[in-house]
Amino acid sequence: MRQLRSWRWRAALGIFGLALVLGWYWLQEATAQDQSSAPGLSPAAAGFGPLPPGAGGLPGNADQAWRQRQLLASQQLDRAEHVYRSYLEATRFPPDSRPLEEHPDQARPFAPVQDEARLRDSAGRPVAGVRIRSTQDRVFVTGTEAVRFTIEAVDDEGRSVALVVRRSFAQSVPDSKTLTTLVHADVPFADDGAGVDDVAGDGRHAALLTPATQGFAERAGTIRVIAEVIANGRQGGVAFDLVYLPEMAGSWSGVREALENGALNFYLQGQVRVAGRYVASARVQDANGVPLALLQFNDVAGPGQVEFRLPLAGLLVHEKSPAFPLRLVDVEAFLLKPDTFPDRSMMPRMAGVAHVSQRYSMESFSTQEWQSEQRDRYLAEYQRDVTRAEDAVRASMRPSR
Amino acid sequence: MMLAAVSARTSSFRKRAWLAIAALLACVAGGVCATNYSLWIHGRNGGGAIGNYQDFTYWGPDSVNAGVNKRAVNWDGRNRISATNSVIRDALDCHCTGSNWCYIAAHSAGDNQIGYALSLYGGSAREVKNPDASCTGTGTTQTGWNIKWVMVAAGSAGGTELANYGAWAVSDPLTSDLKTSTARAMYDHNQTRSTWFYMLAGAKGTSYSSLLPGQDDEVIAYHSSGGVSGSGGATYCNPSDWFCNYLSYNAGPNENGTPKWGWHSVFFRDDGEVYDHYTRRNWAGIVTRLRAEMETYAQ
Repeated sequence: MRQLRSWRWRAALGIFGLALVLGWYWLQEATAQDQSSAPGLSPAAAGFGPLPPGAGGLPGNADQAWRQRQLLASQQLDRAEHVYRSYLEATRFPPDSRPLEEHPDQARPFAPVQDEARLRDSAGRPVAGVRIRSTQDRVFVTGTEAVRFTIEAVDDEGRSVALVVRRSFAQSVPDSKTLTTLVHADVPFADDGAGVDDVAGDGRHAALLTPATQGFAERAGTIRVIAEVIANGRQGGVAFDLVYLPEMAGSWSGVREALENGALNFYLQGQVRVAGRYVASARVQDANGVPLALLQFNDVAGPGQVEFRLPLAGLLVHEKSPAFPLRLVDVEAFLLKPDTFPDRSMMPRMAGVAHVSQRYSMESFSTQEWQSEQRDRYLAEYQRDVTRAEDAVRASMRPSR
Repeated sequence: MMLAAVSARTSSFRKRAWLAIAALLACVAGGVCATNYSLWIHGRNGGGAIGNYQDFTYWGPDSVNAGVNKRAVNWDGRNRISATNSVIRDALDCHCTGSNWCYIAAHSAGDNQIGYALSLYGGSAREVKNPDASCTGTGTTQTGWNIKWVMVAAGSAGGTELANYGAWAVSDPLTSDLKTSTARAMYDHNQTRSTWFYMLAGAKGTSYSSLLPGQDDEVIAYHSSGGVSGSGGATYCNPSDWFCNYLSYNAGPNENGTPKWGWHSVFFRDDGEVYDHYTRRNWAGIVTRLRAEMETYAQ
């Protein structure tokens, strides 16, 4: 009795009781979930494929259920193994130093956004036989940056069709339903080979919008450019959207490099106005222009002088065997503003070569795989999933009678 | 023989029972319960109460099995991705940190939400929280979230031509984010932190087939639901269509060689043109498949 009165025993009994209650609750939950599959959605109907042949020995439904269990266990093991192996392989390199082929649409970040679709009339109906090809050279625009647009008409075989731009303008698109004054500005398209247009009379019309000087300097948000056109005698419209923020995030002052711990680090140097999370990226090419890597920075910095570190992993250099010197090209960056729209204030683009590295011997670079708590955490969990799935496969081999 | 077998079975049962009790005691005493969750992130229009993880109004009856420990991540479904994404990050902090891990199911603009969160915030320091009613913090942090994989039905991370052409009667701020050019420029879709996005693409589209290129589910065309990289507007079909490049299964390039975004894999392509976009608040459309796959794989 004395022992029972001791606080240790009471605590242990309390925990044991709680564990029993939780265990009972958990069993109820699990049973309820098992019995609550959506109607008409058996695993077979969900498309897990045909049942494996030759697993006979049990009568009717029991046999089918056993085979189904085997198949499911096998599929779950396949998934678990695939997830584990691919993560292990990919995370040899850190998340901020990736092979460029893994980011196919990030190779040329400043290439114009292209679109091709049927011409639409004012009711949104497609116009037969006329397609509109359009480009805009950026979506997110800050400060005094300008955006170039082009449009041309082609037929279904891709042959040029004469196009007339009747009217074209930009207008603000408020997110709020609060009464507000809309901003309008003319954005004339031309095919005259002068100014913003490259070649006169080639059927491709071009226009330029500089929000800061065309009335939008005080308006953060979406600006829509609309062109009313006639092609093949049919009228229609083309629309472009851009997201504008008046204030630039900062400015660049240079790039430096340093070989540190077997990796080649590029440091983007600049001045930023406010503290916050900055997101930057740059591409690395070798001396022959062969794409090598996408480097990314995503961290809190500022205000004032900053350096954004872009690491090129040593192991990636070893695996790609690039020709030196390396070139850091097409740098873009922005201040990420959480929980608001627009969510970013851009830094100036550094288009083309921003920095040329020194020459290094391959021995300068580490062959170490990326090591981090995050990687260890993921690999341990994924390995546990594989083990669990293997256990389930083994269990599924035994028919339950 | 019979008695020996029964005795062995009883011994094995006892051992497992003691192990289970020991695990429960450790869980209660030390707060180290490792739990898997299935987070469901919905698309446009919303429906569930924001912050109520048990409210599956958008999806359908919450009595169904939709993966282990299912939770509904409700956001307003009409405002900008950037302005509403904190709801998603809060849910990930609450359920997918510490010893807890998550499977993510997303529909339509839920794809943009989880893609945006992982790409722009997936490498940041996250506060480790307890998945209790108020998601209390533990005072520690970790890098990124614990996400096993993401499964997406009718993903709109590549945008939709319906937003381009103003086809929706109600034009909310989210619609502007779903324009193909804007959706594709919003974040690096390949930066998933090496987490797989398994894509389910429906093809029972008829009403808007003149607006949406290739196969579609009436709202999203294959170029987006299949996670195809590059500019929007590209046309992808099922293999039965001889006059159109088909969307390939898995992570490899499509018939015409165009790549998918990194870590995106087509898990289901609707060759039978059976599934449309709409949940009908009854786990319907392509979400039928999503729910079934979550039931199978999210355990």
